[in-house]
Amino acid sequence: MPLPMTSFLRQTLALTRSNLRSLPRRTGIAASMVLSVALVVIVLLAFLSMAQGFRRTLQSTGAQDIAVVTSRGAFSESTSRLSTRQIHMLEAAPGLARKADGRALTSEELLVPVDAIRTSDGQTATLSMRGVAPGGMALHEGLTLSQGHMFTPGSAEIIVGDRLAGRYRDLGIGQHISFGHSTWTVVGHFSAGGSAFESEIMADAGTVQAMFDRPGDIQSMRAKLTSAAAFPAFRDYVETTLDMGLSARTEKDFFAAQAGNVSRIILFLGWPLAVIMAFGAAVGAMTTMLSSVSDRLTEIATVRALGYARGPVFLATLAESLMLTLVGCALGSALAWACLNGFGASTRGAGNTQLAFQLTFSGMIVGQAVVLALLIGVAGGGLPALRATRIPLRIAMSGRG
Amino acid sequence: MDTIHTDIELASVSKSYPLGRSRVPIFEDLTLHIPTGDFLAIMGPSGSGKSTILNLIGGIDQADAGTISIGGTALGRMGERALTRWRARNIGFVFQFYNLMPRLSAAENVELPLLLTPLSARERRERVLTILDIVGLSDRARHLPSELSGGQQQRIGIARAVASDPRILLCDEPTGDLDRKSANEILDLLQMLNRELGKTIVMVTHDDSATRVARRTLLLDKGRFVARQEMPACA
Repeated sequence: MPLPMTSFLRQTLALTRSNLRSLPRRTGIAASMVLSVALVVIVLLAFLSMAQGFRRTLQSTGAQDIAVVTSRGAFSESTSRLSTRQIHMLEAAPGLARKADGRALTSEELLVPVDAIRTSDGQTATLSMRGVAPGGMALHEGLTLSQGHMFTPGSAEIIVGDRLAGRYRDLGIGQHISFGHSTWTVVGHFSAGGSAFESEIMADAGTVQAMFDRPGDIQSMRAKLTSAAAFPAFRDYVETTLDMGLSARTEKDFFAAQAGNVSRIILFLGWPLAVIMAFGAAVGAMTTMLSSVSDRLTEIATVRALGYARGPVFLATLAESLMLTLVGCALGSALAWACLNGFGASTRGAGNTQLAFQLTFSGMIVGQAVVLALLIGVAGGGLPALRATRIPLRIAMSGRG
Repeated sequence: MDTIHTDIELASVSKSYPLGRSRVPIFEDLTLHIPTGDFLAIMGPSGSGKSTILNLIGGIDQADAGTISIGGTALGRMGERALTRWRARNIGFVFQFYNLMPRLSAAENVELPLLLTPLSARERRERVLTILDIVGLSDRARHLPSELSGGQQQRIGIARAVASDPRILLCDEPTGDLDRKSANEILDLLQMLNRELGKTIVMVTHDDSATRVARRTLLLDKGRFVARQEMPACA
């Protein structure tokens, strides 16, 4: 007949209580286990929050009713080229929103890499400067000026994303900055709902082409659609009917694809590092728990002699391991949250330019850290717990008559 | 008074322990009968097999040959789980070094075997207080073992051994770590449990004073009982 569950639970709870109360006898080694788990959690959370922050930044970029047309096979705008003929053909596409005069609401754009000096370390970083066709700002939804005014078409004026202003030299309102042989005046700062556009500098497309000696160079075309539902017909026209080597995606899908690639790279680096560290932490946990079992040989043998079953002895030892790893997880999560959540970071986005984003925590990624910590606890505590169940009961007896 | 038959029978029991590649015999073909309600003291030099007899009776070690039965139940035929449950119901252990859980209070230590029973929390609490009163330590219920004297710790050990009302107490050198006065108090307590509560007690000891309280004393030497002393006056 199996043990009644209440008795099983009572035994487990009593032994767990006894184990945990005996922790002060092993303060040093238990603390080292907690700290090693905390370290693993901090590293994992740093990578996960980085990937999540990056993904959120790009996923918050773009609308469903704006199409982005690039060369087929181009991963980003910077690797795309559109000819004047292609642009003319695109303006006749179905599903395009049009002005009162019948002209399509489109913006021909190009991205130019420019160098700026970081204020934090004086190092040079490459930023994206976007040339936008006149009237094209209307196709960057959510973009609002936070300071200053819009650049004037035909002039060497720029507006700067809020995530760049302050982080790079000479990007304050009214300041002048040189990119290559050209000098530009900062006339405005803008926000864009935390999207990737906030990591860009924007100027008039024609002026950018002229200043960087790229006459007629267009990399992408943004097109406002009558609605999101019009996109399939628009895409069919661009990719099939025209058959000019072009690709159309909604703006949202366009950035989401970029987010997926880069966040996968971050996770590809982060998870293996965390797993290697977790392996080390599990070995540390095993050492701690073996010490705990050795410390309680007589106690364990005694309760077994009193009639306690192997199951509660196993679970109580495992529970001690899991509780220590959970304390480590809580400590690591709290430290990571305090130090990293909302921390501004930047990485190379599409086109090898800087993309600024914030490390972002969520219940989901903390949940992943908890799962990893529990795995460390199980891996580190399992063997010692098994050992605890196999202690010869005669150890409880003092004499050997 | 306990009237349920719990006679202990060891019939032609042999036991040895491994030592390197060979085995060291502890005893061979040992036979022993301990009737219900007996208080048997087993004395003898170290290495004679005294504690091994307790281990075998308590089901925490197994004989190489022969049979051990208690109340007609052959221990060798029980699986480990059944033996563990049987031990919880029928055997109370008293150890030389008390073996109390150092971070649990006196009351929590006494409660440990009661957690194996279907008693409610209130019933367990009442039982613990009653037993602590019997061993004279009801005012020490909340104390940790480290806050008690050796004699008091052994009283808690005895209270734990009888908490679930087992019929048999196995005592391994219960006075071995105590001063004379405390040792006598423990022996008196064990005698009371035997005389008044009918516990069958098997006690391994080097303490000559044990003969004062035991009903019988056996001297074990080199795996053989070589002398016996009956105490009919105390019976």
